[in-house]
Amino acid sequence: MSELFPRKQVMGFVFSLVLTAAALTVYFLDVSFAVGMTILLATAFIQAAVQLVGFMHAGESEDKVAIYANIYYGIAIALVTIFGTLLILVWDM
Amino acid sequence: MDYFDRFAIPHPSPAIYASMVAIGLTVIAILIGLTYFKKWSYLWREWLTTVDHKRIGIMYIIAALLMLFRGGVDALMMRAQTAVPDNKLLDAQHYNEVFTTHGVVMIIFMAMPFIYALMNFVVPLQIGARDVAFPRLNALSFWLFFMGAMLFNISFVIGGSPDAGWTSYFPLAGNDFSQSVGTNYYLMSIQIAGIGTLISGINFVTTIFKMRAPGMKLMKMPMFTWTALITNAIVVFAFPVLTVTLLLGTMDRLFGTHIFSMTNGGMDMLWANLFWVWGHPEVYILILPAFGIYSEIISTFSRRNLYGYTSMVASIVIISFFSFLVWTHHFYTMGQGPLTNSIFSITTMAIAIPTGIKIFNWLLTMRKGKIEFTVPMLYSVGFIPIFTIGGVTGVMLGMASADYQYHNTMFLVAHFHYTIIPGVVFAMLAGLTYWWPKMFGFMLNERIGKWAFWFIAIGFNVTFFPMFFTGLDGQARRMYTYSEASGYGPLNMLSFVGAVGLAIGFALIVYNVYYSTRHSSRNIGSDPWDARTLEWATQTPVQSYNFARTPHVDSIEAFWDYKKKGQPLFKGSIEKIHMPNNSGVPFIMSCIFFVWGFSFIFSMWIPAIITTIAIFACMAHRSFEKDDGYYIPVEEIEATEKDSEVLADENR
Amino acid sequence: MKTDNSLPLEYGTEQNKLNILGFWIFLGAEVMLFATLFATYFTLEHRTGSGPAGAEIFEITPVLIETILLLTSSFTIGLGVHAMRLGRKNAMMTFFAVTLLLGLAFLGVEIYEFTHYVHVGAGLQVSAFTGILLTTLGTHGAHVTVGLFWGLFIIMQVKKRGLTPETANKSFIFSLYWHFLDVVWIFIFSFIYLKGMM
Repeated sequence: MSELFPRKQVMGFVFSLVLTAAALTVYFLDVSFAVGMTILLATAFIQAAVQLVGFMHAGESEDKVAIYANIYYGIAIALVTIFGTLLILVWDM
Repeated sequence: MDYFDRFAIPHPSPAIYASMVAIGLTVIAILIGLTYFKKWSYLWREWLTTVDHKRIGIMYIIAALLMLFRGGVDALMMRAQTAVPDNKLLDAQHYNEVFTTHGVVMIIFMAMPFIYALMNFVVPLQIGARDVAFPRLNALSFWLFFMGAMLFNISFVIGGSPDAGWTSYFPLAGNDFSQSVGTNYYLMSIQIAGIGTLISGINFVTTIFKMRAPGMKLMKMPMFTWTALITNAIVVFAFPVLTVTLLLGTMDRLFGTHIFSMTNGGMDMLWANLFWVWGHPEVYILILPAFGIYSEIISTFSRRNLYGYTSMVASIVIISFFSFLVWTHHFYTMGQGPLTNSIFSITTMAIAIPTGIKIFNWLLTMRKGKIEFTVPMLYSVGFIPIFTIGGVTGVMLGMASADYQYHNTMFLVAHFHYTIIPGVVFAMLAGLTYWWPKMFGFMLNERIGKWAFWFIAIGFNVTFFPMFFTGLDGQARRMYTYSEASGYGPLNMLSFVGAVGLAIGFALIVYNVYYSTRHSSRNIGSDPWDARTLEWATQTPVQSYNFARTPHVDSIEAFWDYKKKGQPLFKGSIEKIHMPNNSGVPFIMSCIFFVWGFSFIFSMWIPAIITTIAIFACMAHRSFEKDDGYYIPVEEIEATEKDSEVLADENR
Repeated sequence: MKTDNSLPLEYGTEQNKLNILGFWIFLGAEVMLFATLFATYFTLEHRTGSGPAGAEIFEITPVLIETILLLTSSFTIGLGVHAMRLGRKNAMMTFFAVTLLLGLAFLGVEIYEFTHYVHVGAGLQVSAFTGILLTTLGTHGAHVTVGLFWGLFIIMQVKKRGLTPETANKSFIFSLYWHFLDVVWIFIFSFIYLKGMM
């Protein structure tokens, strides 16, 4: 808090640029669908985590547990909804 | 004049014209009455601008009861129409409109506000808080719900009611098959009310997480507060799905997209899927607070602490997660493969386990208790066997392969009424009777209340039990009539008789309110039921600041231990209390939302744009506003608390 | 209101703590809002009717520009909050202003992108795919638009009232909102654009 240079922010920014570049490989290189999706899932979720922890200070206050519970619960339900919907309407229809 | 043609009703009938006149006369009477008795400023100051959670709770109750009677009249019309074969009371179109509005009104505009009524009134008191976390947003939630409800209710006199069922499946609800503006009403009014509910969800989760009395750890919260927390958590994650679903439906109907259409790649089944992604958690949003209410009441009137507190908490937490994992069981017959149906069949049956645990916990709470059969207790005890029938038939329906037989029959109608009526309506009536003295300072008459209970309990079973049989015999739901040769006549007549019994029961409740207002004693103290939780530690009626001194909690039943074991509850001296200011903005903003919704329904783009800007202007106003609230000085609190201190000592 | 000085200004009062937690829970709801849009998008992705598919209409250049703009704006608002915690009002206001300008530029590119889609025959009413594509992007864009006005109001309030617990709280909550929009964009970038062009 007392440091003048925003080390955390700069590192987060550089890291997210690197991850964006990594994600771009699926466009510029000729990768299979499975490899491409793996890369995208990895880069997107890591980048989201960087924003959440690094920029949004999710873990800094006394309500850390409530905030993380809220986010994890939301992500879990979101994934269930997305994959459940795809299972019902696309994969198993 | 062509411009105004859009407001005409597509399928007029004498009954609708009569309702128009009745609505007009009622509105005029209310306006004249308010003016004559000079109540306008009282109404504005004390109610329309209030941010007090207790008053908002009471307004929710009034709105919910009004909607209960609106939905009830719809129900009576349906039962009357199907009482005899080939009946001509309603035609097919009107029957469609009536079952649609019955469903929407009962779920969205009756059950939801009723649970929010009780949560609003009770939860801050149970956790020893001054108010909810965001009092201003709480008022906005109420007024958005109220305006949504009013918007929905004017549909049958302006432009036509929705007629595609409360689930409003596409393509039936699309422009091709539902040409009137009815479905637009459905989309916009539920959208407005839904935004209000979402705001409430955020508000209550924050309140319960952050504003509990000192010492009240999560595992020391009363059971109703626990269920309120979990319910609102489900609201937070389920209602955005509804928001998007309604948005996409609106895009299809008003802006010509092809998301749910039958052409250009659209997928009508997607609506059913998204609707139930919200719709199934919604079922648990309705039932969990009811479980909380029953837990409080059964424990109070058995004079025992709640059996299996930890397993109760565990089961509601598990239910909250599982409620998002079962939605496909509403459309097993839609065409997805056996893998999907098997997965969702298993999750559906699994969710019966935590519910079963709760039933046993209530039974074991009553075991060896000194049970006192008051009206709230009657509803709670009546709930257990009736709800179990609903639960067992639910497991039957949950088996995907068997469901092909039951799907879309009256068996299903019987099943969900067997869960929702004991699960929600009984609970709300029990809760209302139980907390009534805290709200209004007098008790409801027990004798009339018991008569009402028996009429409702017996009337309910007579209405809905026959439907299990007609459903298994193949009577489809949502059909406005049937032939005499089908043989459904006698059992349907029986259902109608039961519905009349239910109506008498509800009329008795209204009479009870009137009778008790006139005749009940006002001298009931602050704890007439000898109850166990913190809301009974306040004065009756509750002061605007709730607690003069913040309670300190050392056990699950802090108030009971204070009364019986002399455990100290209020420590320290009285300090000045910070209170939020009243505000007219939530009411005005919601009125603008009403016009906004109305403009979209009739595709009137200029007012739609103006009101959109006005809504954002209200939010901008809030951003710039300086609102620090005010303080109630110590002397004032001491003056009002004098009497109650005496009472508190007497209680010991 | 009592102010606790051991914490950053934006956590200073009880109401401030409530506001921050409440906003996090709102963001939980927003996760579900966008998840529902994504679920719909993935279901309808290949249902293009007689209209074009994603690979035919997506262009990497504007998408990459939008991504860089939004990532940078997320960085600058992080710097803004950092400056705020150091009590540097002017630096903070500058960073917030830069953030909003980057957001405005993002919106400009997105509007260009939309007109491009309409030009190549991928308007809202063409197919299920174009409908949900534009609705999803539009929902995100609408969030950015609201954010621009909101951020502007906050800069005005900080300028007028200084860094008080109240304005610091509002600024911090706005930064949460802005970061969240960036997170959503990362998913749009990865699973709508890159997946579509892969």
